[in-house]
Amino acid sequence: MRSFPLSSDRFDRRTFGQRFGLALIFILLMLALALLSDRFLTPANLTNILRQTAINGIISAGMTLVILTGGIDLSVGSVLALSVTIGAALMKQGWPVELSVLAALATGAGLGCINGLLITLARIPPFIATLGMLTMARGLTLMYTQGQPITGFPAAFRWLGTGDIAGIPVPIVLMLLVFVAGGFFLYRTSFGMQIYLLGDNPTAARLTGVPVNRLTVLVYTISGFCAALAGLILIARLDSAQPTIGLGYELNAIAAVVVGGASFSGGEGGLVGTLLGALLIETLNNGLNLLNVSSLWEQVVKGVVIALALLLYRAIGSRNSR
Amino acid sequence: MMHIKTVSLNQIGTYLILLVILVTFALFSPQFFTVNNLLTLALQTSLVALVAIGMTFTIITGGIDLSVGSTAALAGAIAAGIAVQLGAYPGLLAGIATGLGIGALNGALIVWGRLPPFVATLASMATARGLTLVYTQGRPIAGLDQAFTFWGSESWLGVPMPVWILLITAVIGHLILRQTRLGLHLYAIGGGEETARLAGVNVGLIKFSAYLISGLCAALSGIILTARLWSAQPNTGIGLELDAIAAAVLGGSSLAGGAGGIPGTIAGSFIIGMLANGLNLLGVPSYHQQVIKGAIFVIAVVLTGGVGIGNKKRA
Repeated sequence: MRSFPLSSDRFDRRTFGQRFGLALIFILLMLALALLSDRFLTPANLTNILRQTAINGIISAGMTLVILTGGIDLSVGSVLALSVTIGAALMKQGWPVELSVLAALATGAGLGCINGLLITLARIPPFIATLGMLTMARGLTLMYTQGQPITGFPAAFRWLGTGDIAGIPVPIVLMLLVFVAGGFFLYRTSFGMQIYLLGDNPTAARLTGVPVNRLTVLVYTISGFCAALAGLILIARLDSAQPTIGLGYELNAIAAVVVGGASFSGGEGGLVGTLLGALLIETLNNGLNLLNVSSLWEQVVKGVVIALALLLYRAIGSRNSR
Repeated sequence: MMHIKTVSLNQIGTYLILLVILVTFALFSPQFFTVNNLLTLALQTSLVALVAIGMTFTIITGGIDLSVGSTAALAGAIAAGIAVQLGAYPGLLAGIATGLGIGALNGALIVWGRLPPFVATLASMATARGLTLVYTQGRPIAGLDQAFTFWGSESWLGVPMPVWILLITAVIGHLILRQTRLGLHLYAIGGGEETARLAGVNVGLIKFSAYLISGLCAALSGIILTARLWSAQPNTGIGLELDAIAAAVLGGSSLAGGAGGIPGTIAGSFIIGMLANGLNLLGVPSYHQQVIKGAIFVIAVVLTGGVGIGNKKRA
């Protein structure tokens, strides 16, 4: 149970502390990397960071909505794999690119919808329902592909991962579109307010007439859709769909959302924070590469930075709580 | 007292499912219900079950430990590395110390850093995996002597050592949970942290010890695997946390805390192990096995009453 903030003063300071803290860490990291490597602050490298952020960023956008309701979606990596495998296979069978893309997105949304129904109708806790989906969707992917990669896509499809619009790479444009659409949905429609209310206090939400079940199904559907979209960009860039694609992506997405200031108890966090969180993690990976740090160290640094960033939040934000 | 009722009901469900699976495989595969295969099954299951015992302690407090797979890998690697240089016993001790160290780190981040368990252990999961890769340089460590491999590869009274270790750990774990003040306090914290605090429970210390125990169990599992394979592999234990959580939940633990126990967790581990073993014997392709495992997991959770618990609090 979360306690309500007793004074609005404490609540504001905490939110402010988190937003400001994250931006501050980000700026410090940028400064440090700019000083350490003269290749860091070049337009080419910055574009590269943004392009690499697109995949995890889009998945994290969907994950943000789920976590805001107090849920979690562990299945995104497997849902991504099954969706893109189906899309890729259809393309290889000669389906038009647009229809194949639509089929992949529909698969992602459909699997997300099943997650939502398991959680609302069958009343299975989100962690368990999406853990089951993680295993099943991965198994279906392996069955469908017989463990073989699907490679060689039409140029029209590869544009999703390698093309650009007015000089901006398509993945970046898509990521921005997702965040703008998500922001509109979350902050300009009544759905958004209801999602926050649901995460903050499900009982109150139900009593005030929030359609809790429909809303829950909706956020998991969106999460599945985002996973499929991110997966399409990824296979378009790689020109290949491996059956093991997306393994472990759920943890990257959850990390971005949580570094962005969301709380697992729901009702706290937002898309701006998530975008910053995803950028922070990718900038760090990029910086380590530029500094020629062995990729063996990458995970160590990622783990330590996530922990430090969050400890810093606590230090700035919630001195008064408990 | 509500808790105790729920737990026993859940566990009856768990044992029923275990029995159904056992009977099904015994009917369909003549090799399944043989002493040899059952021992193999116990040996295979012991790795997950050990980790799941530790996981049960953290889940009872309403927490979770995602770092167990990486902890197992790091402990196994360090144990092997030291054993090659200094001998088996320093190696085994170093491995156990590694597990306790990561458990202590998790506990400290959660109790004194006030990080949510999911995030704290996610961070140490990445860190420990990375350290494993750095320590091993991404290569297996081999060259272990018999005093080390004994713990994974040999038997006593016809029962493999890992199964003995599992048995002893399970008994100790069960006694801690049911017979000691620590156990009582663990359940109290899971039932309601604030209430437990007001009732005089040292919440911080008790939670800390839960993660310490989880780290220790993960290390035991990692060391045994290393001893069984005669070498430490840097990529072992990936995804182990999900199997362990699944085992605990199948055994009647609630992710909301306050419920669960060792017998249930062991039964849950055997449900998972038996599915893999039996489906293999029946010749089901491994890809299909994943789908079946996922589906049975969800159905089993519904049957064992994860449903009612899920309503109380979002997991």
